[in-house]
Amino acid sequence: MTMRLSRRTRRAALAVAVLFTLGSLMAAPAAAQEKPRPGGTLTWFDYGDPGRLDVHAESPLVVQQATAGVYSGLLHYDPDEPSKVVGDLAERWTVSPDGKTYTFHLRKNVKWHDGQPFSSADVKASFDRVLNPDFKSPKCGASLKPMVASVEAVDANTVEFKLKFAAAPFLPSIASAWCRVAAKHILTKYGDLNSAEAQIGTGPFKFKKYERGSVIEWEKNPNYFIPGLPYVDGVKQYILVGGPTQLAAAKASKIMLWDAWPPMRKTQADELARARTDVDIYQAPINTMFFIFLNSKKPPFDNADLRRAVNLAVDRQDLVGKALEGAGVPCAILDPKLVGDFALPPDEVAKAPGCRQPKEQDLAEAKKLVEKHHPNGLDIEVAVRQVGNYVDRAQLLLAQLRKVGIRGTLKTHESAAGYAAFGKGDFTIIATQDRAMDVNEPSGIFHVAYTTQAGSNYGQYSDPKVDDLADRALRESNRDKRKQLYWELQRYLLAKGDHASVAVGWVEGWFFKDQKLRNYKPGLTTYDNNTFMKVWIAQ
Amino acid sequence: MKAAFTRFVVRQPLGAAGAVVVLVLIAVALFAPILAPHGPKDAAFAPYVAPGREFPMGTDQLGRDLLSRVIWGARLSLYVGVVSVVFGITLGSVWGAVTGYLGGAADAGSQRVVDSLMALPPIILALSLMAALGQSVDNVILALVILLTPTAARTIRSVALGVAANPFIEAAQATGASQTRIIFRHLIPNCMASYIVLVTTNISYAIVVEASLSFIGAGAPPDEPSWGGMLTAGIQALETAPWMVFFPGLAISLAVFGLNLLGDSIRDLTDPRLRGGLG
Repeated sequence: MTMRLSRRTRRAALAVAVLFTLGSLMAAPAAAQEKPRPGGTLTWFDYGDPGRLDVHAESPLVVQQATAGVYSGLLHYDPDEPSKVVGDLAERWTVSPDGKTYTFHLRKNVKWHDGQPFSSADVKASFDRVLNPDFKSPKCGASLKPMVASVEAVDANTVEFKLKFAAAPFLPSIASAWCRVAAKHILTKYGDLNSAEAQIGTGPFKFKKYERGSVIEWEKNPNYFIPGLPYVDGVKQYILVGGPTQLAAAKASKIMLWDAWPPMRKTQADELARARTDVDIYQAPINTMFFIFLNSKKPPFDNADLRRAVNLAVDRQDLVGKALEGAGVPCAILDPKLVGDFALPPDEVAKAPGCRQPKEQDLAEAKKLVEKHHPNGLDIEVAVRQVGNYVDRAQLLLAQLRKVGIRGTLKTHESAAGYAAFGKGDFTIIATQDRAMDVNEPSGIFHVAYTTQAGSNYGQYSDPKVDDLADRALRESNRDKRKQLYWELQRYLLAKGDHASVAVGWVEGWFFKDQKLRNYKPGLTTYDNNTFMKVWIAQ
Repeated sequence: MKAAFTRFVVRQPLGAAGAVVVLVLIAVALFAPILAPHGPKDAAFAPYVAPGREFPMGTDQLGRDLLSRVIWGARLSLYVGVVSVVFGITLGSVWGAVTGYLGGAADAGSQRVVDSLMALPPIILALSLMAALGQSVDNVILALVILLTPTAARTIRSVALGVAANPFIEAAQATGASQTRIIFRHLIPNCMASYIVLVTTNISYAIVVEASLSFIGAGAPPDEPSWGGMLTAGIQALETAPWMVFFPGLAISLAVFGLNLLGDSIRDLTDPRLRGGLG
């Protein structure tokens, strides 16, 4: 059984896939006929050192990347058709007539990498863990907790999920790359999944090595439950911090793939194109929102007027134009390229306070709001992680805020330290933080950054009306009514303009794939389809 | 005065050229608000504009005028260089002179502290300090002071030992002058030539260390117009916008070149073994 996403969503995904594959298909039409060649090592990179490896408990992309091929999910996005949800550890599943009970029938004779047998007890242990109200699970848990009431093991090969209501995003959420199934005996033994030793999965690759700050390696799992897969002998992920290092590795052919955050900027893509002719370079959305977060629990941004001032002062078009070199969708809370007509029409978004151009009216209002509370201006510390081009973005933000009397000094954080500080609320304002939708579904971004319980609600902001609208939209099964609820929610957020999660725009960028790499298809989100189970390397 | 200046130019033409460069650097730093056509942090223009009439040094990746940033960078570099060197060298000089004169356990103990500090590679020490203290211009100065102090202490101590052996020190002791009076009235003033040489030669060192720290992201905060920070940004667009590296690189080179030429000349003039005195 499979679950297909909407036509518009599929179309957006297909457009990405077509863009990506067009070059290689045109250059080598016979490639589709080629027989997969086993062997070789795929190389790519992580933008930073993950530090911790617990895919249930962490939210940085590098944690998911580091462990993606080691684990399997109940479901996953089809590596051959990334818009389609298909079974992974579940062979098939059924849904009750009221849409509130999902029964998953598991594959038999699956073994963990340490040789222990896999069973429904592992599935229950994993999902009980992420659904535990006391367990902070910013990705899988944050998306499933609003929907799932309980998980039961019916027998050794059957698991039943009881939902609180019939929820359309349930299957895409279960297929999320963050909802991986971990071994019960490993969770019992280690208590968490943070160490390299705890990386025991059922996936196509075994976790081989983690050299802090240097490299993460997987090796082929010879007992993978799909015979003949994976094709490659292993995967090497170099930990490359900073744009120049990443680009240098790409130019030197040290990496075969760049299809994760941070995307290349146009100038970098042009530089790579001059250096290498054996790569396909393509532009694509990355299903990631560029956010600014204000700490609503601490002065000065516990004051709604000052949050509104920042919202008005931020020039999204300028930020997307300069920091993303124009590759992005400014202002939109939902990106029409990703979720179709669930997104407010761009014309309407462009007239909203904070988005409208020219900027003078918004700047004047913002300045008044700042002067009302701080006649001599406001001095704040602006936090930023030193990854991607975040520091550039932060400098642009500082320049914009200065125009309304907010003077910022930058406080830079190493990647993992930044996440730790932000998670504890140890900041005044986070200049920039990209957050990805875990599933390509309109509910995604609201449960990532806007609701009270959202996994990345760093500003700890709570608005009952936002929670209510997001919850009602999640429960609504009628598509048109659901769309109206999401429109209402977007209009409310744009008009009120005092949320602590300030949307700047959806990020796009440039990526590349080595022409030797075959059968790699980008996922709908930056997290999907990076298990490389069906990828092979041509001679 | 005029004759001395003329003799300096004739005997030390390179030093004179260095002095001109340093004077220009000081003037640019002092008058940065007047000379810079735009604010150094104003990202108000198109990114990656090549050098031309409107932007003589082009714009950077965020659309900031590079000329304005290079001009304000002179102020930052000179501020960091002068303040850290004056504090570091002065502190080290007093430390070296006092312990050298006192001798005994105080001298031996202080020299072991100096040994320990000098055993650490300067950049590693500076990096560790910045990691511990956090990124700010003031902390760069503090790190430099800690780097420069032991060097000055070691150098001035050896000078002080030589001065202390002079008969006028013995005479002062014989007249019952206190140790404080001897150190600050007779010893330290006779170490001033070496002190001045240390100051002039180390300003360029401090500028390079600040630029290096900023280059690797551990110096001045990224939005401050630091020449080293500009180099880091430029490296990311080396092929697209080479001017982003060229102009800050040129500024660092010229400043260090000028300060080194001037420092070398002052050393030549003050060192009796090198026959370049003005007299």
